[in-house]
Amino acid sequence: MAKKRERLEIIKDILESIRSSRQIKPTRLLYSSNLSPQMFKEYINELVKKEFIRIEIDDKDKKTFLITKKGNDFLAEYKVIENFIENFGL
Amino acid sequence: MYFYDWILLNKETLKVLYGAVIGLICAVIVLRTDRLFRLSLHQGIRYFRNAFFFFGIGFIIRYFLSPLDFSGREGIIYHSLANFLFEYFLVMAGFFLLYSLLWKRLEGKGENYFSSLFNFRILVFHIMAILIVILDTVWRSYLFMFSSQIIIFTITCAISLVNYAENGSKHKFLKFYFLAMLLSLVAWVLNALIALALNWHKVVLTDIYIINLLIFLLFLYGVVKLTRKIN
Repeated sequence: MAKKRERLEIIKDILESIRSSRQIKPTRLLYSSNLSPQMFKEYINELVKKEFIRIEIDDKDKKTFLITKKGNDFLAEYKVIENFIENFGL
Repeated sequence: MYFYDWILLNKETLKVLYGAVIGLICAVIVLRTDRLFRLSLHQGIRYFRNAFFFFGIGFIIRYFLSPLDFSGREGIIYHSLANFLFEYFLVMAGFFLLYSLLWKRLEGKGENYFSSLFNFRILVFHIMAILIVILDTVWRSYLFMFSSQIIIFTITCAISLVNYAENGSKHKFLKFYFLAMLLSLVAWVLNALIALALNWHKVVLTDIYIINLLIFLLFLYGVVKLTRKIN
């Protein structure tokens, strides 16, 4: 059985999906994140709150997600953060 | 014995130096982990950072403020207050270190407090720490602080041993973390022994200072090594 993804790993996966597409629609991001709709919503709300991503709404009222500078910083340091947490058992 | 004689001869200067070194180590750890916390908003890193913030303040109070000489009634009040604060910050630091290892099992999903210093979970630690210090002040001893720290570091030792047994081959610092916790436990047991049975034996007390320095240097090594890639 595959190991359950940790919270930080899920955040990294979501941010990487957004970054690789530059901007991405909610349905596509939901598929690529491999989360349930409920969990997806929770993570997106958290990422918006932390200012890792922002939501853009176009003229037709369609939403797209974009990664912010803070989100990009997180991705750049993700390995260091992950390594630190695991080495200190936090 | 020359080493101990030299230390005892220069103990007042060395105490201030010791407090400064530990204060500096704590400051580096707090600054490095604060940067990590701000990027990740990871609660474990947050509590770990808080632990060293409290250790730092505790040691600065003990080795910089306590030696200041005040006489008379003001002196008694000043030294009692400095002692009260030193004990409080040290006990809180122990609680934060323990909680940094336990928070995942205790906090609900999505629970995210605005403040990690004052929320209803941490309030329990504040109350316990204040109670411990009050009891020690009333009994004019360090018995309650020593007992609480021995319990805390026995638990952290057990948790870090389990972490090391499970993931030690992948994450090398887990071995040093366990060693640091084991040394902390030894230091607190020795502290209790010299206070209760050995009448503050100076040689053993010096050994405790050296062990404490080693513990903080171990943590500094781990934090610097694992965060050096951060810009």
